[in-house]
Amino acid sequence: MRIMSYLGAAASAIALTATMATNEVKAWSLEEAAKPYAGTEVEVVFLLRPGYEAAKQMLPEFEEKTGIKINIIDHPYENSLGEQVRDFVAQGDLDIALIDLVWIGNFAENEWIVPIETFTSNPDLADPELDIDDFFPLVLNAFGGWNGTVYGLPFDNYSGLLFYNRCMLEEAGFDGPPATWEELKDTYGPALTKDGKHAYALQSKRNETQSADSFARMLWPFGGSFLDANFKSNLLSEESQTGLKFRQDLMQYMPEGIVSYDHAETVNGLAQGDVAMITEWSAFYSTLTSPETSTVTDCLEIAPEPAGPAGRKPALGGFSLAVASQADEDEQAAGWLFIQWVTSKANAKKYLELGGVPARQSVYQEPGIAEQFSFVDALVESWQDGVPEFRPRFAEWPQITEIVQEWGTKIMLGEVTTEEGAEEIGSRMEAVLDEAGYYNGDKPLAQ
Amino acid sequence: MTIFAFLGPAVVTLLAIGIVPLGFALYTSFHRYQLTNLKKTPFIGFDNYVTVLTDQAFWQAMGRTMTFLLMALPLQIVLGLLIALLLHQPGLSLLKTLCRLSLVIPMATTYAVVGLLGQVMFNIKYGVINQMLGWIGIGAINWIGDPTNAFIAIAFWDVWQWTPFCALVFLAGLSTVPAEIEEAAKLDTNSWWEIVRHIQLPFLMPGLTAILILRTADTLKLFDMVFTMTRGGPGSSTELISLMIQRVGFRGFDQGLASAQAVILLIITIILSQLYIRHFYSEAQR
Repeated sequence: MRIMSYLGAAASAIALTATMATNEVKAWSLEEAAKPYAGTEVEVVFLLRPGYEAAKQMLPEFEEKTGIKINIIDHPYENSLGEQVRDFVAQGDLDIALIDLVWIGNFAENEWIVPIETFTSNPDLADPELDIDDFFPLVLNAFGGWNGTVYGLPFDNYSGLLFYNRCMLEEAGFDGPPATWEELKDTYGPALTKDGKHAYALQSKRNETQSADSFARMLWPFGGSFLDANFKSNLLSEESQTGLKFRQDLMQYMPEGIVSYDHAETVNGLAQGDVAMITEWSAFYSTLTSPETSTVTDCLEIAPEPAGPAGRKPALGGFSLAVASQADEDEQAAGWLFIQWVTSKANAKKYLELGGVPARQSVYQEPGIAEQFSFVDALVESWQDGVPEFRPRFAEWPQITEIVQEWGTKIMLGEVTTEEGAEEIGSRMEAVLDEAGYYNGDKPLAQ
Repeated sequence: MTIFAFLGPAVVTLLAIGIVPLGFALYTSFHRYQLTNLKKTPFIGFDNYVTVLTDQAFWQAMGRTMTFLLMALPLQIVLGLLIALLLHQPGLSLLKTLCRLSLVIPMATTYAVVGLLGQVMFNIKYGVINQMLGWIGIGAINWIGDPTNAFIAIAFWDVWQWTPFCALVFLAGLSTVPAEIEEAAKLDTNSWWEIVRHIQLPFLMPGLTAILILRTADTLKLFDMVFTMTRGGPGSSTELISLMIQRVGFRGFDQGLASAQAVILLIITIILSQLYIRHFYSEAQR
């Protein structure tokens, strides 16, 4: 009898466990979670870049599963901040914010975006498979986090990489890329700059490219930075000056008119075989490997950016997606479901294969991925050693970047010395920070 | 009531699209109005105006704009006048009709498209301009990447786009010269210049005044073409005043300062227009 009752209890326990397990499996699905929001329309700004094209190709699946309509407004990068700021100030239609890592402080301090905790704490909306720890910590922190709170999930993710033309290097007697910036300038520069070809191109156009890709890229590997611990300018420090002077020296191995080179011109220089090496965002991998846009696909190789005296410190950039606080409750929920889905572990491989660069660690550990995408090893290495404040991420960056762009270009053109330029940028930058309240304690020294 | 009924819609429209934005710009120019920090927008009196008037960068941009105007406008007027005088000659009517039609094309092209075309055509490596110069043995010129060349390139492009406008206005002026007076003058003198100077030019003065006012105002607010072609660079070499205002207001988001800059620019434009009207138009009336 006792045996029978034990057996009965065990059978009940097994049945209960099985039922619970079934419930747990059924407990959350995108389709179920999205049911209350079917028909909701969500507005989001996208850029004209490969990662966004990849997401667009994935969209029909999301819309079919959920009934949520994602309305995409395409903008070139240069317009995307202004368009979003005006929309948020005017309480417009955007339901999801697309946030460059240098805008996160601005968006968070103005309370234009909602912390993800609002949604991750809601079991109806939070995917149990979200696995936030699967994002590269540096990327999650830099792209989506501000002052200890996570607002956005990394979506379009970049690290600076060294793209090089192996054939040109081999022809000049090199069997690999330069390991350090010094080596690039002193050894590779003279050997590869000849017959109308140039060793290296550094995109330096007067826009965010000048401050992010050109100016900042030469500060950090040499031990420099924009600000010191007290938020005073650090541009006149010996390390920062070494970096800025190095950039001036390196210009002799770059094409003429480099201050008018944006990403397109630089990538095109390598793609057409006019330039041997460029340091560009990982996002341009698909452009450089496509025979439609590149003539050097067979010779293209990728390595981490060269190291400086202070280490590798590659350029760090990219975008997260966050729910906009101006959206109504349904739009917020629908927006979150989309962000969670498009950045999910399950979709990372598909996104990668379509031309995007996910920030999920797990996808890069899958067998065959590193062989299929030759940038993976360099990218993963770069994301171990990046600097989150590669460009300060506080709300005042839009004003400061304008100053850097103007005077950074003047330095490159030789209109002012590196010291004079650094002095001008420093004093103007400090004036902006002073007015914002960093020096009287109104604002914490967070960047 | 009838007057209000007729004028009302026009006045309301003017208020909505002209006066209200101007009033708002005036309001913001007296406040610290940072678009990314609208929680604090204190009244700061004339601080923004003092900042603008003492800002070296503002006057440098204004100087560049005036230089641009002084380079491009006289060229447009002289070339436009020459084209108009050629088209005013008798004969070859089919060719002249084709010429008049082709003159409209540059003007009808959107500013931004003109700028994008310029960016491609002036490209140091792949641009058609350098290719054509190569045919006559001139080496590749770095148009967009060199500060002086970039300035010349945008001035050249503006001359290309707006010379036809001057030509058409002058041609319209020439068509108002009574034929009998021209014929009588031709009996008196064989000098082409004498006829232009004493007979045709007086009829061109109202058109010239219109060109000066319109082209000056257009140049002071010229934005799209330069923005798409050089974005104000390299450095600040092609940053005209309108580009600077856009940069401060929409990239630095300091709407207060940008509004003060715009108000000062408006005052300068009004003063210049008044000078033109007093000098040239009264000359034409005499």
